[in-house]
Amino acid sequence: MIRLKGGKVYDPAHGVDGEARDIYVQDGRIVAAPGPGVAARTEYDCAGRVIMAGAIDLHTHIGGGKVNIARALLPEDHRGTGQSRAAASRSGSGHAAPSTFTTGLRYAQMGYTACFEPAMLPSNARQAHMEMGDTPIVDKGAYALLGNDDFLLRLLAGKSGPGTIRDYVAWTLHATQALGIKVVNPGGISAFKFNARELDVDQPSPHYGVTPRAVLAALTRALHELGVPHPLHVHASNLGVPGNADSTLATMQAAEGLPIHLTHIQFHSYGAEGERKFSSAAARIAEAINRHDNVTADVGQILFGQTVTASGDTMAQYRNSRHAHPGKWVCMDIECDAGCGVVPFRYRDQSFVNALQWAIGLEIFLLVDDPWRVFLTTDHPNGAPFSGYPHLVRLLMDRGFRNDRLGQIHPDAAAASVLGTIQREYSLYEIAIMTRAAPARILGLADRGHLAPGAAADVVVYADLPDREAMFACPEYVFKDGQLVAQRGRIVQVTRGATHTVKPKFDRGVERPLREFFDRYHSIAFDNFAIDAGEMIECGSRELLVHPCAGRA
Amino acid sequence: MRPGPIPSVHEHVSCPFCGLLCDDLRVRVEAEALSVQANGCERSRAQFSSAAPASPRCSVEGAEATIEQAIARAVAILSASRLPLLLAGGTDVAGMRALLELADRVGAVVDHVASESLFRNIHVLQDTGWVTTTLAEVRNRADLVVVAGGDAVSRFPRLFERCIENRSTLFDATRKAPELVFLAAQPPPGIMGRHLRVEISRLGEMFAALRALHAGARLDAGEAAGVEVSELAALLGQMQRARYGVILWAAADFAYPHAELAIQSLCELVQALNASTRFSGLPLGGTDGDITAHQVITWQSGLPLRTRFARTGPEYDPHRYSAKRLLEGGEADALLYVAALDAAHTPPAARVPSIVLAHASMSVAAGCTVHIPIATPGVDQAGHLFRTDSVVAVRLRKLVERGLPAAHEVLSQIGARLPREQE
Repeated sequence: MIRLKGGKVYDPAHGVDGEARDIYVQDGRIVAAPGPGVAARTEYDCAGRVIMAGAIDLHTHIGGGKVNIARALLPEDHRGTGQSRAAASRSGSGHAAPSTFTTGLRYAQMGYTACFEPAMLPSNARQAHMEMGDTPIVDKGAYALLGNDDFLLRLLAGKSGPGTIRDYVAWTLHATQALGIKVVNPGGISAFKFNARELDVDQPSPHYGVTPRAVLAALTRALHELGVPHPLHVHASNLGVPGNADSTLATMQAAEGLPIHLTHIQFHSYGAEGERKFSSAAARIAEAINRHDNVTADVGQILFGQTVTASGDTMAQYRNSRHAHPGKWVCMDIECDAGCGVVPFRYRDQSFVNALQWAIGLEIFLLVDDPWRVFLTTDHPNGAPFSGYPHLVRLLMDRGFRNDRLGQIHPDAAAASVLGTIQREYSLYEIAIMTRAAPARILGLADRGHLAPGAAADVVVYADLPDREAMFACPEYVFKDGQLVAQRGRIVQVTRGATHTVKPKFDRGVERPLREFFDRYHSIAFDNFAIDAGEMIECGSRELLVHPCAGRA
Repeated sequence: MRPGPIPSVHEHVSCPFCGLLCDDLRVRVEAEALSVQANGCERSRAQFSSAAPASPRCSVEGAEATIEQAIARAVAILSASRLPLLLAGGTDVAGMRALLELADRVGAVVDHVASESLFRNIHVLQDTGWVTTTLAEVRNRADLVVVAGGDAVSRFPRLFERCIENRSTLFDATRKAPELVFLAAQPPPGIMGRHLRVEISRLGEMFAALRALHAGARLDAGEAAGVEVSELAALLGQMQRARYGVILWAAADFAYPHAELAIQSLCELVQALNASTRFSGLPLGGTDGDITAHQVITWQSGLPLRTRFARTGPEYDPHRYSAKRLLEGGEADALLYVAALDAAHTPPAARVPSIVLAHASMSVAAGCTVHIPIATPGVDQAGHLFRTDSVVAVRLRKLVERGLPAAHEVLSQIGARLPREQE
């Protein structure tokens, strides 16, 4: 048994706000205080230190085809970043798109214990799981992409009933070993294959005549009826387009009151006002989130510097390819499933647009009232590499620091933002909500993100430093499933993570039309498509953790 | 006489013998003999039926040895080496993972035998990027297919059958045959396509002229790459009119110095065509696990092949760390070679101690120090290989038990017996 003695515990799932408590760990789980006379084998003196559950990143591109294209595209991003091997850990490299081993270790060093790949193409699921299998320590999970695949668009165009769509969604979750479903630019990736360059929420798509709204409504409903804990994960239409706040609001409406998660909402909160026809619509978006409690969002904050953008949204990525820095980029149409676009990018604080993007992200963080419904992400690596999280935490917690940075960006962008007038500073309790308790809740991970007896012993101990960036960059201790894995930024043990999945009940009858579809149109056989539990272990997962679904159909 | 095992017939078998990785074969297994009964090609029929000799043996210095002896000698060679070269010549994802783990342990350089052609593409990716597509998209959307360099089917026998000759597509129940244009090589027998006579070594010049025309430039020359400008303008018009054009090339066909410049020019033309229509490239490769090797080393190290696992972390240098250069220049002082997919892919000549993990039917030259016969993925063991489009990792199944260890098992055993590391 391990005892973490006397730390200030932040466990928002149970309303614990910095009270001095002991945490006990046994066999990988948090346990209740043992009776008198039972001594812990190891004690860590945590007096004055801050204790939280392991952090959870619910949206980070860590595995799969587009990430590996980004790595191969940018050897210059990896130069000088070499991480040498140690007895316990493999070597690696990379800044914006690090190698798998480097990714796992760097997350663990920062106190993260679970990471979720948000854009797993069903046809590329094996690669995504293999890369995640080579990402050590942290647990993983993935959202399968639907909504641009020709099977679903045909169902919608053919006015198939909700039952068939629901069964197809469930079949996809099983076959790809996913935890949730994401839609990227609903119908827009497919439309781009027909040479359409834009698709708004109520615009019928080429060939199918299906609107993004219809795709959103069908998928949110299917997930709700299947009882999948994580709502539809939505990368909305018109990413990056000035004035896209209207389509973002329309996207929220398309859920018809059912749960919906809008991802990297910063990239979707733009107005088209002002001299440069680019303005912040963060206040409108935050107000809509505040008003609709079925809506959650992660921010996708940008941070200044070199990164690479990797997205399934070929329509947007092709449009953005003219801004590639360095000037090289990849677009790919993929398997009647979706696509991917990889565009390197350098966000500059002296660029009006980039500086305002930075301010818009922070405005959203600070204007959404409920930290349970807004999540800390940079959409790694699209807004910035995840290694920027400690800096972002400080921007949220430290108004003076934030305003100093605001004073350094393009002055017109600073003037166009309300950021300087916002007094709010996040508390440690709120940070613990948005990086632990809330993501665990919205993903349906009942035994993660909190510190009550029975929870997995993913625990982080921080020095309570006034410089919150230094504090969150380098925790004193990180425990994964009860094992000490990192100590003051040094990896002490390399473990393997599990894979979070769901397996909702469904009618296997849907396999008949699917088999016919594969036989007639696909490039692989239906019987070779699905990934079973044994193959997941071969891919590198330690084990599958299947979370319950409370079906409503 | 003991009754033989009952023959079995497997459906939807994946064929690991070229980068198409067709997964619709019917294969009959009787005792240890395999035969393709449906949906094969000449190559797959030959490869599946090339039976391994009964219980192939390991050898050390040409003398028969136990696998323990062979592994012990491999460990001794790698331990004594200052710059070992680990060269993939055909292995699956698990084999590459184990090879990389070993490379990381011993500070090796990692390369693939086909990297000379693979790098013609990687250089382009790293310099300009590209717009590409995958097999199912070609099958359903392509209305114009341009084949550059070779004829495609010599290297990828069922490409046209699987992706171009199908008449029912997602968007059209009675698809017209896509227009086919062959640049350089003649259309293969039985394929109707327009042939544009041009030397493969002048394709770069030709794509540059097409790009210039696309950009609105007027060419004063009457011809480029030996092709009349009017004919080039007609070809460009055909490409611009296509709704979903695709251009295929196998980098292996571009076997001349600086051929990456021709491929770059091709890719820049494709990027430019997308300003007004949809057009994609499809690089053809993947045979002998070259794309698999590229994918796995890229995700594990962050860098492509021709990377050295140095003390300070992985170090990529596509010139300095080419296997050919390291072997010919005598810089590498040990070679570990893994080739499980094709018995004809014997190891390169090496004047240094060599460890060869070989397809069970491979006749390994007497020069190699350690020889260990291994399983073929998709025949003797389950596994994964990446297809030509780099997207689909095709599931390979085990069809027969011939007592052969998998490459990853042998490599892991070698790693496990290396001297323990100092912290």
